[in-house]
Amino acid sequence: MSMLNRRGFVKLSGAAALVGLSAATVSRKGFAAAKGHVVVIGGGYGGAIAAKYIRMADPGIDVTLIEKNEFYYSGPLSNWVIAGFRDIEVQKWGYEGLKKHGVKMVHEEATGIDPAAKTVTTKSGAKIKYDRLIVSPGVDFKPVEGYDAEASEKMPHAWSAAGPQTVTLTKQLMAMRDGDPFVMVAPPDPYRCPPGPYERASLVAHYLMKNKPKSKVIILDPKDKFSKMGLFTGGWTKLYGYGTDKSLIEWIPGGEGGKVARVDAKTMTVHTEMAEFKSSCINIIPPQKAGAIAEMAKLTDESGWCPVHFETFESKIHKDIHVIGDSSVASPMPKSGYAANSEAKVAAAAIVALLNGQKPGEPSYVNTCYSLLSPTSGISVAAVYKLVEGKIKEVGGGLSAGDAPDFVRAQEAVYNESWYQSIMADTFS
Amino acid sequence: MHRKKIHMLVLVGGFVAGGLLSGSTASAAEAGATAAMLANTCAGCHGTNGISGGPAMPTIGGLPANYLKTVMEQFKDGSRPSTIMGRLAKGYSDEENALLADAFSKFKWESAQSHPNSKKATAIDPALAAKGAELQASAKCDKCHEDGGVFQDDDTPRVGGQWLDYLLFKMQDLKNAALKVPQPKKMETAIEKLSLEDLTAIAHFYASKK
Ligand SMILES: Cc1cc2nc3c(=O)[nH]c(=O)nc-3n(C[C@H](O)[C@H](O)[C@H](O)COP(=O)(O)OP(=O)(O)OC[C@H]3O[C@@H](n4cnc5c(N)ncnc54)[C@H](O)[C@@H]3O)c2cc1C
Ligand code: HEC
Ligand code: HEC
Repeated sequence: MSMLNRRGFVKLSGAAALVGLSAATVSRKGFAAAKGHVVVIGGGYGGAIAAKYIRMADPGIDVTLIEKNEFYYSGPLSNWVIAGFRDIEVQKWGYEGLKKHGVKMVHEEATGIDPAAKTVTTKSGAKIKYDRLIVSPGVDFKPVEGYDAEASEKMPHAWSAAGPQTVTLTKQLMAMRDGDPFVMVAPPDPYRCPPGPYERASLVAHYLMKNKPKSKVIILDPKDKFSKMGLFTGGWTKLYGYGTDKSLIEWIPGGEGGKVARVDAKTMTVHTEMAEFKSSCINIIPPQKAGAIAEMAKLTDESGWCPVHFETFESKIHKDIHVIGDSSVASPMPKSGYAANSEAKVAAAAIVALLNGQKPGEPSYVNTCYSLLSPTSGISVAAVYKLVEGKIKEVGGGLSAGDAPDFVRAQEAVYNESWYQSIMADTFS
Repeated sequence: MHRKKIHMLVLVGGFVAGGLLSGSTASAAEAGATAAMLANTCAGCHGTNGISGGPAMPTIGGLPANYLKTVMEQFKDGSRPSTIMGRLAKGYSDEENALLADAFSKFKWESAQSHPNSKKATAIDPALAAKGAELQASAKCDKCHEDGGVFQDDDTPRVGGQWLDYLLFKMQDLKNAALKVPQPKKMETAIEKLSLEDLTAIAHFYASKK
């Protein structure tokens, strides 16, 4: 199709883009005729929304999303699954909605990026050419002594895009003997979802209180403080006897022996510098770094994460490649689903501007992380950010009030699930 | 179905184009964030184009601009109670709030009952809704919230077709005098005479509207 024809067609019938005619059916030539071809690696909280918002803003841009899995299992709200009050199926999302926006799906693993030739290679050997590339592969794990792929089946992390790992940990918790501890190894900063381990501890404690009252949660933590700490410990004191000898949660910070030296999956033991912890139910959340493909493409620096320009999320290392979501360094924005969504929209708007020969506009970013203390008690952290002298700066926001009445906590618990419904619809439909 | 979607697409396209035009005449920093850029940050909670996925986050796409602007200002200065909006609203200037209000008022409202998620949300009880219909008429709520709450003007938000769980929270808040929810005097007097049960029925009625 010539450029003129294609444009004319879109003009005559705006529906073309919607029914997926464009990217899915045009030839290679067709791609060249569009304003540009954007390739996205990773169809999670960051990548999927970037793909959709580029198509929504400018159907004249072709978008291809490379995602290795047929379905996406959401990490957010997967702690509810582990604690036994949510079905894993509610966490599962497909890519039909994105296809309706004209996003071309390639369900394959991206195995290489050539920033000079501007191509992505997939596992089958296909080479896909891009004008601009968005990389949103989430996180990968750094080594923990004794924790290999096999060990991770026995001592699940349940910290990647959920799914099988979440199911394994749920089953272990359900099968655990009353009196055994639920041992969790928390990660060092920075990692995805800073309040996540402590929400998990809260909800497991809630489950134990109802089902295995002789058991407790033991958190082995390399850190001495953590996200929303006051709100969590306040909630634990109120709900789970925290601080008493009957507490359902015991938190061992780094300064008091919480640092883990190695794990042994055969004997189901975690060794700290001073002690050992055994259980039939052990959750290891390893230290984290950018997704493997980002590291392979040398988009990472010595920190293990990807430095970017915050007005566009373009890599500081490679031109025309934008890194968003957990893999990028966007502090003070945390590595969260909401942050990935917000970063994706900034990157999408910038790319649309650039492919139209315009200057990217000024960005605006938001993050919110809801967490549950119990199924009916929610807390949150929220922030609005602006770009100030090249840096991301918080200009408003804060934590739920420490002394909020129960009805506010109850409303936040419901809003938590509602947030999930809205952000998932924003992402996948 | 298709037509609705296309409508949304055109609106969003329009925003982006408008933003780009202003971006090309002034430097990005001077121009500030565009309405589309600002509004997109709210979608993680209020849904794409302000159409919430429910069951509790309110749909804000298509509400009157003046109401939206007032509400954001009140969240910001603390005169309107909230669980989270008060914290978020502090991050926006008055000009940005005006842009946001304008942006969301231009989206097309979609009632909760026509959203695919309504099947998963708290179900509307037809008997309660019928009782609510009578109660809101006898309490004269319909003097302002006309047509089953579907009506809206500069100051009055549409309540007909809003998500049920949000309306239920709102009713609880309205009955909680300590919260001092901003509202017209006549509404306050009417609410005072009704029990939370009555208001629950009215919430079911409003939420049932398409
Ligand atoms: C238990 C838990 C609870 C959480 N709770 C919350 C919460 O309440 N709120 C919140 O905001 N955030 C929460 N998060 C964090 C959130 O899940 C992440 O921050 C978010 O998913 C980051 O988005 P992303 O796009 O960077 O990565 P992901 O969402 O992980 O997406 C990455 C995608 O890329 C794909 N991929 C990776 N490499 C390749 C490759 N080479 N080729 C093809 N595809 C590839 C993966 O299959 C995956 O689908 C939670 C996380 C966990 C684990
Ligand atoms: C973290 C989720 C979240 C984000 C992000 C968010 N909101 Fe809200 N919004 C809520 C909740 C929850 C309520 C109900 C009031 C409350 O408890 O805070 C609400 C209420 C509102 C209302 C009142 C609706 C009515 O019918 O009176 C408006 C208007 C609004 N939000 C606008 C916005 C705008 C504009 C943005 C983006 C700048 C935004 N919100 C971002 C969660 C959010
Ligand atoms: C005098 C006109 C008037 C009357 C009468 C009235 N309302 Fe309202 N109502 C308003 C206005 C104006 C607002 C917006 C006020 C504000 O938030 O600042 C409102 C807001 C509301 C809201 C909150 C909507 C939202 O999105 O947050 C609810 C719920 C509501 N009214 C219910 C009722 C009920 C029930 C009655 C009858 C008992 C009633 N109103 C009577 C004018 C009225």
